[in-house]
Amino acid sequence: MDTFLKKKYGYGLLLFAFAAIVIVTLLRYQTHENKLDVLLERNSPSAMTNEWVLMRDYASTLRNKIEKNPSDVKSILALTTLFIQEARITGNYVYYDKAALKCVNRVLKLDSLNFEALTYKSLIYLSQHHFADGLALAEKAQKLNPFNAFIYGLLVDGNVEMGHYDSALANVERMESVRPDIRSYSRISYLREIHGDYPGAIEAMKMAVNAGGQGDETTEWTRIQLGRLYEKTGDLKSAEMHYTIALTERPDYPFALAGMARIAAAGKDYPRAIDYYRKADSMINDYSIKEEWADVYKHAGQKERADSLTNIVITKLNNDQQSGQNDESIGHYADRELAYAYLKVDNYNKAFEHALLEYNRRPENIDVNETVAWVYYCKKQYAEALPYLQTALKTHSQNSLLLCHAGLIYAKAGKQNEAKAVLQKALITDPDMVTLLKKEGFDSLRSIQ
Amino acid sequence: MQNPDGVLGKPKTYCIIFSLLVFVILSPIFVWGHNINYALERAPDSRVIWFYLKLGILHIIPLGTDHILFVTSLCLLSTRIKTILWQATAFTVAHSVTLALSMKGVLVAPGAVVEPIIALSIVFVAIENILLSKLKPWRIVIVFLFGLIHGLGFASALNAIGLPRNKFYTSILSFNAGVEIGQVIVIICVFILIIIPFGQMKKYRKFIVYPLSILIALIASYWFVKRAFL
Repeated sequence: MDTFLKKKYGYGLLLFAFAAIVIVTLLRYQTHENKLDVLLERNSPSAMTNEWVLMRDYASTLRNKIEKNPSDVKSILALTTLFIQEARITGNYVYYDKAALKCVNRVLKLDSLNFEALTYKSLIYLSQHHFADGLALAEKAQKLNPFNAFIYGLLVDGNVEMGHYDSALANVERMESVRPDIRSYSRISYLREIHGDYPGAIEAMKMAVNAGGQGDETTEWTRIQLGRLYEKTGDLKSAEMHYTIALTERPDYPFALAGMARIAAAGKDYPRAIDYYRKADSMINDYSIKEEWADVYKHAGQKERADSLTNIVITKLNNDQQSGQNDESIGHYADRELAYAYLKVDNYNKAFEHALLEYNRRPENIDVNETVAWVYYCKKQYAEALPYLQTALKTHSQNSLLLCHAGLIYAKAGKQNEAKAVLQKALITDPDMVTLLKKEGFDSLRSIQ
Repeated sequence: MQNPDGVLGKPKTYCIIFSLLVFVILSPIFVWGHNINYALERAPDSRVIWFYLKLGILHIIPLGTDHILFVTSLCLLSTRIKTILWQATAFTVAHSVTLALSMKGVLVAPGAVVEPIIALSIVFVAIENILLSKLKPWRIVIVFLFGLIHGLGFASALNAIGLPRNKFYTSILSFNAGVEIGQVIVIICVFILIIIPFGQMKKYRKFIVYPLSILIALIASYWFVKRAFL
């Protein structure tokens, strides 16, 4: 009887404790989700600028307004734009995308058809590489307001990433007709680039730069894209000039520093390139900068440092991806980036796993197909790489890295004529290509000839 | 199934309490649709079945250590195969329901809520193994309700991979079948490693069930703290 009573009360206690802990967990989660996020202190020298001080004060004012009136949609949306802007400046997309998403979800709970909130939500989804969801939201928003140029920009981005290039072209034309500005010109440029028209892409990107306010972050980011186009066509002097202008307009602008690093690396001045990358990395948390930096370490013969940096990138990308499973945020899909990072440390199985994950989401995208094809090449499964390569080349992109990869795959798959044609084309322009790959390309071309 | 002894209250009461808990858990949910696996929409059925079947198995062995501990706990209550099968069936039916609803976008819970509760469910079942010596009907109810929560956990993992729209049921059934195979493997392992060699011991519960349940409860408590607070 005594044991029975003990068990009875023990069981009751267990039930009570379980219910209490579950309720506390739920309440804690709800409180956390309802709390407005703040702008984090910047560590970089940009924390000293007047722009940052004004931004921080504005965020604080908005927070106060929202706390006083939780249905103040205008202030919530203004805070959302600050979070989106700060994500781009600091590279802390994990924190700020989540903060922005909480804000837009708050607005959508008040008004499920709020056009601005849907637009921002689409933008955040695209930023987190949830392209299908971002595109679906942009389509929904476009039905609400078919005369907004910004939404057409999101439709272009979503369609490009999903590999719907014809729809992207149609949307960019519509975007330009609604509002010809820096955003529409830069997208026209990108579409021309992936369709193999480099002169046209440069022309459109110049128009984009000229349409922007000098010194604005958006303008200088566009200028960097212009520099990148010059790099891809082998015109390093013009590229360097644009990176220098960007650095004059925005001192220590990380993407301009990374551009200067690439120019230095192309001239085999690795110590200088490493210095530039180190500085750029201290300004922003950007994985593509870290990856390029790791490549330079490798070329400079510092393999251990290169591997260590690549492993940091892998860990951080995996963490970012994981973060979305724990709350209402969505997590950053970075499988394509992870596939390339794993290739760098010769972990082909993990690279393959991530490449296929991304392919399953975006089977029509040329970059994703190129990634899968290249992973197959690294795994020495040349025949399996061919169908993916065909899709990767469908827009006739003249990207030298893509063409070099294509040439190497064709050569190993026994398609000598195709290999010769694309390798010759790829090797005309050098700087965008990894040096080691260039050597492999030359060797392959020599063996064919 | 054995009859309830009626000592610990009516099973209906527990059913109501846990139904309320599930409602509370799911009420703040933000609903969204599942991710789409576009590439597999073009793949033949056989490839889709194999892909999700393998994924389901991998989600239990070796990736689902929490599910392994949960199923192990279910096996520790009694050495009778019937007892284990009743619980495993309740768990399977429940997680299949929420997995399907979740992947349809009808019911999706954030991981920050689901994952700690999954850990807590393992603690609960492990402690229950110490408090109970035979299967009671409410244990089936409890396992069923926990199965609903575990289903939401499976869904969050499956969401990253996505499902083909034109083969939704094929893929989800294959994933479920894979999860079942994984669970059956765990049950067989528990039988081979624990129940067959030690199940007939006089002090089986004292020397095997209690220490193992305490160990499982401790591990799951650590997971709960880690998932909820760290």
